[in-house]
Amino acid sequence: MAGEDRSTTLEVDHLGIAFGAGAAEHAVLRDVTFRLGRNEILGIVGETGAGKSVLAQALVGLLPGDGRVVQGEIRVNGRPLAAMNERDRRQLRGGAISLIGTSAKTLLDPVETVGRQIARVLRAHRPCGRRAAWRQTVQLLGDVGIIDSEQRARAYPHELSGGMAQRVVIAMALIARPDIILADDATLGLDATVQVQVLDLLVARSRERGVSVILITHDLGIVAHYCDRVAIMRAGRIEELQAVQGFLAQPGTAYSESLLGAARARPVPADHLSTATQRLGDAGEAVAPRGETLLVVENLQKLFAAGAAQPPLRAVDGVSFSLARGETLALVGESGSGKTTIGQCLLRLLTATAGGMRFDGIDIAALTERQFRPLRQRMQMVFQEPYVALNPRWRVCDLISEPLRLLEPVSRRDRQARVNELLDLVQLPRRLAEAYPHQLTAGEQKRIGIARALATRPDFVVFDEPTTALDIRVRAQIIDLIRSLQVRTGLSALFITHDLNSVRSLAHNVIVLNRGQIVERGETETIFARPQHAYTRLLLTAELPIEWSASRRSGTPVPVLTAERGASARR
Amino acid sequence: MRIVLARVSLIPPQLFGVLLVTFMLVRLLPGDPALLMLGNMATPDAIASLRQRLGLDQGLWTQFVRYLGRVLHGDLGTSIFTSHPVVQDLIERAPATLELISYAMIVTVTAGVGLAVLSVIARGRSFDYVTRVYGLAAGALPDFWVGLLLIFFLYHVAGWAPAPFGRLDTYLTAPRAITGFYTLDSLLTGNWADLGSAAARLVLPVATISIVNTGAMMKMTQTVFAGVYDSAFIRHARASGLPQRRIIVIALKNSLPPIITTAGFLFGFLLGAAVLVETIFSWGGLGQYAVQAVINSDYPALQGFVMVAAVFVLLVYLVVDVLYELVDPRIRI
Repeated sequence: MAGEDRSTTLEVDHLGIAFGAGAAEHAVLRDVTFRLGRNEILGIVGETGAGKSVLAQALVGLLPGDGRVVQGEIRVNGRPLAAMNERDRRQLRGGAISLIGTSAKTLLDPVETVGRQIARVLRAHRPCGRRAAWRQTVQLLGDVGIIDSEQRARAYPHELSGGMAQRVVIAMALIARPDIILADDATLGLDATVQVQVLDLLVARSRERGVSVILITHDLGIVAHYCDRVAIMRAGRIEELQAVQGFLAQPGTAYSESLLGAARARPVPADHLSTATQRLGDAGEAVAPRGETLLVVENLQKLFAAGAAQPPLRAVDGVSFSLARGETLALVGESGSGKTTIGQCLLRLLTATAGGMRFDGIDIAALTERQFRPLRQRMQMVFQEPYVALNPRWRVCDLISEPLRLLEPVSRRDRQARVNELLDLVQLPRRLAEAYPHQLTAGEQKRIGIARALATRPDFVVFDEPTTALDIRVRAQIIDLIRSLQVRTGLSALFITHDLNSVRSLAHNVIVLNRGQIVERGETETIFARPQHAYTRLLLTAELPIEWSASRRSGTPVPVLTAERGASARR
Repeated sequence: MRIVLARVSLIPPQLFGVLLVTFMLVRLLPGDPALLMLGNMATPDAIASLRQRLGLDQGLWTQFVRYLGRVLHGDLGTSIFTSHPVVQDLIERAPATLELISYAMIVTVTAGVGLAVLSVIARGRSFDYVTRVYGLAAGALPDFWVGLLLIFFLYHVAGWAPAPFGRLDTYLTAPRAITGFYTLDSLLTGNWADLGSAAARLVLPVATISIVNTGAMMKMTQTVFAGVYDSAFIRHARASGLPQRRIIVIALKNSLPPIITTAGFLFGFLLGAAVLVETIFSWGGLGQYAVQAVINSDYPALQGFVMVAAVFVLLVYLVVDVLYELVDPRIRI
């Protein structure tokens, strides 16, 4: 508008945001400057605390608490945000700039049908009758890939899956035909296959409609595949801003380089078991005899009751595998594939419905809980959400030494020594022994979880999603840590994850699970290089490697053409 | 609809339980009704014959079975004290109390929820602090004291309110009983003088009950509403550019289940708890009747009252459950 450059929809000029008043004031954003072109897709990448979300909130004029703009300005279609009154700003939100947040299910009103929620956004921005709004809603729901949209529009949010809810939120963002969509970690926590579907769709619809998109993420794979340009944020500043292709080829700063390095897959640690043994031997440590089978699972089955009239849910359905000493076996699959359930059955956190499990020759399925207890020190688990799994009222040293009580009573001094040893092992400074869980970062909490599991010197550890929801560099550090543990302690591990990148870096063998059944198994390299089963191939195509290639899921911003390419990539 | 039927079918066994428990509990009260009725000068013979006439000399179970049989025929016995059938006493008094607490509930819920919503929206501003002070104070205010203050200032000093004696000005006759609610009946029969008088007389007692109970209602709603108001989907609604009024309605709809529960609980509670207010305003309602019955060891009257109260509470909870399912699609009972 205002006769300005028609090709720019959003201008951010030396923006500074601060929280707190007086002496307590601290800047969260400093001197942030960028322009967003019409129909451009800009990626904003940064680690936790870089200020990405605050930037998104500032762009829609909804800073939380006492956050305020202390410097610079934001212009949308040439109009400065600061000069708008409350009414204009409300019209701007959702009308000109829409926001898509993380975990779509929490973004929807639980007591209203999704169709009416979308329609009321439309009616808040465009004068439109109830009927017409409903028609447009249903049509748009069809456009965002919801089958049977007329009927699904009458569903409540709790009746939808995570991916469906995300589509509904996208429809909500698109309905009032905005110029800009802000996607703030919009696909965090979704399965990889669902993530690419949702992103394909978001990008395709945006290209079609000439909408500019800002993809805020910490996943460089998303940037490589969908964005035209990328901005790297760190500590409230934009450190680097350039075209994605150039960025991937030659990042401009050391920080960007470290991010890229951390995000790229590491080569398989060792050439399978033999080399791993070799290394252990070299390290001069006691190594268990090779090839000896530690764990055998036969025909494991776990059913969950699904309600009176329905047949039970077959979470794990006849799964058999074995694990050798010193082997790391990855269980890969989407949510609902039964991989976590298998891990929990092995440790008797859940009781298996049927099937045999032998650990070091002992039939653990037949043991009573009391008989199983002594075995617990030999079998441990690292839980998925470290913060939830740690008692918030305990200090780190208490948390780590708790499992030691499973062992013989030890003196206070020995216990202290063991805690320090474990902190060293997971590469945490010893001073953290006095800290409480909430004072730690997510990566440190993960490490404490690992230290707890290793406290009793177990033979076998189950890692449940050790790398999900972590920043890029932290994830790389955790992967490196587990690798060094493999080498140093000859750990046998079951590695449960949907992060294929980490599987490639850590596992010797892979089992691919779908709906509680094994669809494919084999050596890691073989599976990745020559997947046999269609489902494995589907998982692999959903992976977003961090390379610029012709197979990018969204090309350069040529509106009509790319829309078609985006749509075809979806099939 | 199915849920209503399922719920209704649960009421008879629940009622039976209530009858049994109250029958036994009432028998545990000290005081012999025969002695009370005849006074201190009664001869042991007279007392014995009265006890026999009242059936008090028989075993507890026999008394209970006979009582149950009569209840099933709609006979709650005769009040020892008023000498009227208990049913008749209750029918006369129940509408007075119900009318009082119904209006009080409407005012309490409206004011409580309204104040809570306004205070959450005005968070950190002076209005918020005022409601907080009120919330604290209301919990500590005894209702009879509030009632007396209102009478003193509004009736005695200012003369705005009518005299605190009963439900209607003394020179008026009650409207023809349809619902038993004077306001509704006078409206239905077009008796405007009665309507004005009944409404005016309701003002002070309703205000008394509301002032005391709005505080609890408000605090509870504040907690729930503030939680919802800060939730992700409300932030998203705001980021989607929905108008403020809309957002408040959405947040309120999501806060309804606990509000409904509290209101239902409060409604049941007021039935007996309004007794002091009824006494001050000579309301002639159920609460007063129940207290008299306790003082006089009037077993049939007391049991009758408890049964009416139980039926009332069960009905209120039935409505609460149905409303619950209506306001939250995730709940299927």
